Amino acid sequence: MSVKYIPVQWNNNKWKYNAVMLASVFAYLWLFIFVTPDLMSNEGRINGQVHNARAFGSCAFLMLSVILCIGPLARLDKRFLPLLYNRRHFGVITAFVAITHAGYILNWYFAFSPSNKYEALLFSNTSYGQLSGFPFEVFGIFALFCLVILAATSHDFWLKFLTPRIWKRIHYLIYAAYIAVVAHVSFGILQDQQNHTFTLIFIVVAGIVAILHLMAALHERKHGDPFPSISDDWVKVCETSEMQEGFAKIAQLTQKERVAVFLHEGKLSAISNACAHQNGPLGEGKIIRCLVTCPWHGFQYDVTNGSSPAPFTEKVPTYNLKLEGTSILVNRNANAPGTFVEPLPMETMGVAK
Amino acid sequence: MDQAQAIFFAFQVWCNIGAIIALVFLTIGIDRIDEDAQGAYVFRLLLIPGILLVWPLVLWRWFILETKRDVWKNRHQPPRHAHFWVAIIFAITIPAVIIIGLSVRQTWPTNFEPQKLSLLQEQSQ
Repeated sequence: MSVKYIPVQWNNNKWKYNAVMLASVFAYLWLFIFVTPDLMSNEGRINGQVHNARAFGSCAFLMLSVILCIGPLARLDKRFLPLLYNRRHFGVITAFVAITHAGYILNWYFAFSPSNKYEALLFSNTSYGQLSGFPFEVFGIFALFCLVILAATSHDFWLKFLTPRIWKRIHYLIYAAYIAVVAHVSFGILQDQQNHTFTLIFIVVAGIVAILHLMAALHERKHGDPFPSISDDWVKVCETSEMQEGFAKIAQLTQKERVAVFLHEGKLSAISNACAHQNGPLGEGKIIRCLVTCPWHGFQYDVTNGSSPAPFTEKVPTYNLKLEGTSILVNRNANAPGTFVEPLPMETMGVAK
Repeated sequence: MDQAQAIFFAFQVWCNIGAIIALVFLTIGIDRIDEDAQGAYVFRLLLIPGILLVWPLVLWRWFILETKRDVWKNRHQPPRHAHFWVAIIFAITIPAVIIIGLSVRQTWPTNFEPQKLSLLQEQSQ
């Protein structure tokens, strides 16, 4: 949570997450470079510079694949949610691994060009009019730019400055980056690969990423939050019998807006489902010590006024509620973030204001 | 080569403009539009690469926040509805790209003997 910005908000969980991630990266590079030097390289002899480039390149591909698997896995099974917690650090390290790959390539294939090596990279192959021999480098350059933009805008400041909606739209670039990486590999190393171990690993991993996204999208479509018919300002969320102490029911108010209605100590309160930090689904979190806790990064809010506890400053909108018989209705017009709304006892008839 | 030079030059110009904007924004602007940044300085170094790359976006958001045109409702409406089709297109494109890539792969006959196509003096490297 933000009070004053600091470079990195470290905690024990982040240290452990990063330690496991970095240990895995070093283990992979060590295996690739020293233990199995022939496994994923060409049968022909290659020099150390190219071998290192392939080690870092394949490592970046695998890291990006894991990052992209975390989101759909967390949507399909909540036990994967802890992996989501520090995914941005994962992304930043992936960008550095990809930059190292690009560095090895530039400093071997283009370092001896009479022109600037960056310019040499751009004009070395210009066969854009044909698929066979297509300049696959351009896919890698595009993917690298995307990864650097994502890493460079990963600090919490950017979320607040740009708003989570714009930030997320920018970070959709990760999908374009992954497709570019797949094209970079398919039109690059796979065109020349004689040892098909890497080809097989590449197809299986990319296939898993594609299938998981398909499964998560279909799961969301089938089991997503209900979209009630809206005739006036009051929208039915659910029946009182469906509520569970400490948890929420979520309803869609518009294509973009969702409300989370919580039951806390026998009373109902409604706040926006979108966390102020990264728009995580607050309604999928639970109430811990009287505070709604976001399942993504642990940001907390008072359920009655949508405000984070002092000294934190995050706020989310609140909503008015009423009961009609056993039906819980929410007013679709959100109150300004931080507005207190008296909790509505479940057995009471009337409007909470 | 001229085009490559032009692209590289344009990139340098882009980053130089970004550097000037980063200097002004991080010394003056950021304190005016974000109270959490006031008195916090070390983290600003981490923002420099982002400003170099997306400076038009920085200028636009700076203008929105300076002129109090920010709409609070937009902060709580994530673009989740777009995610379904993004995921579907993403899942279809991945295998399509791999199949196209593998289909244009050239496999030489096993008994193919390499032939020199150019004369020795025409070889560039």
